[in-house]
Amino acid sequence: MKRIPSSTPASADVTAAPVSAASAPGREAIRSTVLANGMKIIVWPVHNIPNVALYNWVRAGSRNEAPGITGLAHFFEHMMFNGTARRRPGDFDKLMEAQGGANNAFTSDDVTVYQDWFPRGALELIFDLEADRIANLAFDPEVIESERGVVYSERRLSVDDNNHGYLAEQVQAAAYVAHPYRFPTIGWPADIQSWQLRDLQAFFKTYYAPNNQTLVLAGDVSPEEAFALARKYLEPIPRQDAPEPVLTREPPQLAERRIVVRRSAQTPLIQYAYKAPAAADERAPALSLLLSILVDGDASRLYRLLVEQQKLIIDVGGNWHEGFDPALVWLYFTLPEGADPDAVQPVIDAELARIAREGVSEEELRRAKNLVAVSFWKKLATIDGKAQLLGEYDVFHGDWARLFDAPAQFERVTVEQVQAVARDVLDVNRRTVGVLLPEPAELAAEDAEEDLESEDA
Amino acid sequence: MNTAYALTQPSGAAVHVPAHERVVLPNGITLLVVPSPEVPLISFHAVFRGGPLGDSKPGVASLVAGLLDKGAGSRNAFEFVDAVEGAGGSFSTVTGTEALSISGQFLARDQSLMLELLSDAITRPRFEAEEFEKLRARRIELIKATKDSDPAEVIGTYGRATLFGSHPYGKPSTGSEESLASIAHQDVLDYYRAHIGPDRLILVFAGDLDVGALRRDITERLGHWRKAGTAAAAVAEPACARGRRVLLVDSPESAQTYFWIGNVGVNKRYVEHAALDLVNTLYGGRFTSMLNTELRIKSGLSYSARAGFTRTTAAGEFAIRSFTDTENTATALDLSLETLTRLKTTGVTHDMLDSARSYVLGQYPLNFETAADWASALVELEFYGLGPEYIDEYAAQLRRVTLPVARTVIDHAFPKADDLVIVLIGDAAKIREAASRYGEVTEMSLTQPSFSPSS
Repeated sequence: MKRIPSSTPASADVTAAPVSAASAPGREAIRSTVLANGMKIIVWPVHNIPNVALYNWVRAGSRNEAPGITGLAHFFEHMMFNGTARRRPGDFDKLMEAQGGANNAFTSDDVTVYQDWFPRGALELIFDLEADRIANLAFDPEVIESERGVVYSERRLSVDDNNHGYLAEQVQAAAYVAHPYRFPTIGWPADIQSWQLRDLQAFFKTYYAPNNQTLVLAGDVSPEEAFALARKYLEPIPRQDAPEPVLTREPPQLAERRIVVRRSAQTPLIQYAYKAPAAADERAPALSLLLSILVDGDASRLYRLLVEQQKLIIDVGGNWHEGFDPALVWLYFTLPEGADPDAVQPVIDAELARIAREGVSEEELRRAKNLVAVSFWKKLATIDGKAQLLGEYDVFHGDWARLFDAPAQFERVTVEQVQAVARDVLDVNRRTVGVLLPEPAELAAEDAEEDLESEDA
Repeated sequence: MNTAYALTQPSGAAVHVPAHERVVLPNGITLLVVPSPEVPLISFHAVFRGGPLGDSKPGVASLVAGLLDKGAGSRNAFEFVDAVEGAGGSFSTVTGTEALSISGQFLARDQSLMLELLSDAITRPRFEAEEFEKLRARRIELIKATKDSDPAEVIGTYGRATLFGSHPYGKPSTGSEESLASIAHQDVLDYYRAHIGPDRLILVFAGDLDVGALRRDITERLGHWRKAGTAAAAVAEPACARGRRVLLVDSPESAQTYFWIGNVGVNKRYVEHAALDLVNTLYGGRFTSMLNTELRIKSGLSYSARAGFTRTTAAGEFAIRSFTDTENTATALDLSLETLTRLKTTGVTHDMLDSARSYVLGQYPLNFETAADWASALVELEFYGLGPEYIDEYAAQLRRVTLPVARTVIDHAFPKADDLVIVLIGDAAKIREAASRYGEVTEMSLTQPSFSPSS
């Protein structure tokens, strides 16, 4: 699927590293440079297949939006494929595909990331295309209108017709009172229908400056040739003033918040969203491992207790939104038809309280560390995974080289540190609970009509 | 579309099957070993021929697959998963239309553990009654949950049920709520005895392997395993649909209509498969495809519109999949059918074919990057009796595709717009009338516990 927003629930999964990654093959060949205009380029040459993966990380997400223009960062991501002063809408994809390349992009609360996967012979074309859209993006009013429809369809798919997405959007909006992380990345419906050309132009000038981007290439390319092409195509693009920082700090949450949604469904849902630290927090490895202990795999705490032993739920998942600012740790639960969420919630809560009180076992921690180790090696086995991990560490942790410190950091985490982070994060007063209750279709339809009427009034 | 530098026709590097061992053991296991030491991971892929073709009720093979790692050998269900995940490993089972597969990945240091777990799962599964009941009940609820939140995920199951009818490809490979409810513990035991054994097994290992130890372990653990004794059922070629049929699946609150338009396509041994890949790339296989251009790029009707062939031992389906706002249902369906008719009448041009060729050649190596990728690829070749040339000569075949061959493929493999099965999941009250324009409509509810109205 193309140009998918990694919106609700927040995307960042428990990636990251372990095992002695000092031995990560080929890491000594990685080079990086900063162009005169402030754009950073990182290259990991790997020659096992004749292809290259490119990730361009732009520090712009729904975090940089305001009421009235929610969803703009994601919409902008779509518009980046729709024409420049030099090329008509559609030429970007046509030229790239005709030279063997494919592309995609995603937007999160924090960043917008553009990805290309192409045979090495297309390298110069790719630099030309990427530089052209950063330097010369143009907005065709007809294309803007058509693309609104595309994004609205994407919203219907991931939110309106998806109970998990529908509930998560409400929980996220309720979890924050001040911070822009409360906005859904896909945008509120009224905003999708109303943002203007001038909003797009202002957003482009501010956030698509070269000094706000980090370009990563991994694959059949040498650092020298990539740097030379970067100097030719990207370096002439002028630097801009740094974007205004996001200054808002979410005030401390004082009590549990609760959202109950009733709609046509067979299976009830429960979601918990806890206030959690930012990606760069020193507790990050312990928090990632805690989440893995709770929900990763069939031997995880919550899966075993709730699915296998008590048979109260049919599925459990979780993730931590690792952002620039403190965000949320999510836990979500799917219940069987007819189950009562009020009866299930105390069992979940008792187990989470037990972890905060008694901690986790050495075996559980070992298991989590090993799972993280395998997922690290799996990612490093592909040029796509390499480009993604280097970018993630450079953007969210300040330096791509920290990727290779991560394994040791994960290895060092103790059961005491996991318990401490569990006590800090799994605090009922600092969570938002979402419950989706099924109701017969006829009633749900009447409710929806009433909602519309009250909006019109 | 100007560029300041010369664009050469991309070479599209050829992909070659890596050196590997292939032996057929005396008890019938086809064993393939692909050593590749780049990262300290090892993978296995075990595929049993038959899968749901041996089902007494839809979903039996899928429950068997799901139960293999719920207790085996000396370990109960919890001990088994503790051993897998405690080592950071993975163990997953999938049931396709004609195979039951288990695959997994472990750190290289755990090779001997991996082999022990794999051989226990396939030769000594416990199939405890309690685990059976639990899995069956959960699978039923998971289908309901998917219907609640991901109609696009289940639409293909409705499509195949309508298109293939009583042919095995029409049965839901993981069962329906109704069929799962009818399965007894004994059905699972019977299936295992008749359909799981070394004579049905293709077993591939890839990655940073200790090959000597692997050979010894395989002989010791699987050398004396009893045969399944029956051959996998043969599959007849399904009949193409004639005329139009519409299945309307009512989902009263749905904001969009999800649609699937299909007919019987071609099988895995289709000679012109390289040409088929090029034409389908142009029709519905990439972002600038004819279909996505009409439904997304030009009209903004949908986030995504794609088409593709499922090629199996017998011909699987060709299907178009997309979705649009409820009120635009007819517009999007009309455009999809018009685009198909345009392909059938006007065909493709030389320039289009060149662009598709570059695209497929350029993307092809990305499918064969890791040892796990090669494990899957080699299983597929072995399963369908295709030689390494299927991969080795693919690039050369792509280069040889001419316009007349593309025309043959369009005539032969793509259905006519008059002969189609159409499935719509959406708000029936709002789209019932539009649906009736496309053929005789059968209606059912999304919450009905099966994937076809009659069963």
